[in-house]
Amino acid sequence: MLAFGIYALTADWTSAKWLLWIGLYLSFGLLAPWAMTRAWAHHHQSALQPRLSQIFQNGELGLVALMLAISVIWDLQKSQYTPYTVALGSVFLALIGIMAGWVWIESYGRRSIGIRFRPDRAWRDSRNLTFLVFSVAIVTEILLDRFAKVTAL
Amino acid sequence: MSAAAAALALAKEPRRTLAMRLADPAGTLAYLSLIFGLLLVSFPMAFPRMIIASWQNASLTPVMILLTVSLNLGLYLTVAHRRSAKPGIIAAACLGSAPVFVLAGLNFVLQATIAHTLAGTQPNALARVNEEILAHTYFALIAAIFGPFLLIRLGQQFKKTDS
Repeated sequence: MLAFGIYALTADWTSAKWLLWIGLYLSFGLLAPWAMTRAWAHHHQSALQPRLSQIFQNGELGLVALMLAISVIWDLQKSQYTPYTVALGSVFLALIGIMAGWVWIESYGRRSIGIRFRPDRAWRDSRNLTFLVFSVAIVTEILLDRFAKVTAL
Repeated sequence: MSAAAAALALAKEPRRTLAMRLADPAGTLAYLSLIFGLLLVSFPMAFPRMIIASWQNASLTPVMILLTVSLNLGLYLTVAHRRSAKPGIIAAACLGSAPVFVLAGLNFVLQATIAHTLAGTQPNALARVNEEILAHTYFALIAAIFGPFLLIRLGQQFKKTDS
């Protein structure tokens, strides 16, 4: 009965702080650069109207994902989960964050030394890996929200 | 005659072995993770209870092994088909065996986690254990799918630099 009461207090749609949190990352990491590019083009009276895939064509999105992963790792470290769970989550988030950032490093390396570079592939790779980081970050924040409520009881 | 020769030449051309990129499984894995999150939010009591019940019945790890191995192999074969490339034996063996080792290893970690939680004097120990199992299941599921592809990708990196 006590367990049921505890579960009744755990995460649901009404306590969707994680949604606001992820929205901040989406708006500042994706939409803000896109809107600022268009504003810059408008200011310089240019016909430039780049799409997201053009703005992040060198895999820069991977760096946004890396920043997001670091932020979630920090939240995990502050949580009251056991050290085993914190380590597991942190290592995994670090791995996918680094692999997302690696897309930008690979693109930079290829462009620098003149190996065949395909912007479409860099965009696709960074987009998919960033989507994975965002997805894991959302679920981790939901889990953290649940756990915080249980420990607060 | 020339068309037939060209067709013959095409037929004889050996298919290259599939070179995986991490972005290939990342999209599917992201959707799987979102589904987990959606179930957690839509059914905040029933979904965790189901996971904990199957852990108590000792059926959680076998189910996860079955799910991850089939998903990994399915993903690998889908990418091979899409790129008209030949699936590699070593990669397929890695995708079939690595999730088993990952999940079995993480099961020991989960036992240690539960022992650590119950040994403490914190309040709501049972609820904490349940939350630990839930978080552990999620991270283990994602690790068992992403880990083998990461191993394959790193293995490919040693073989060639321009993949």
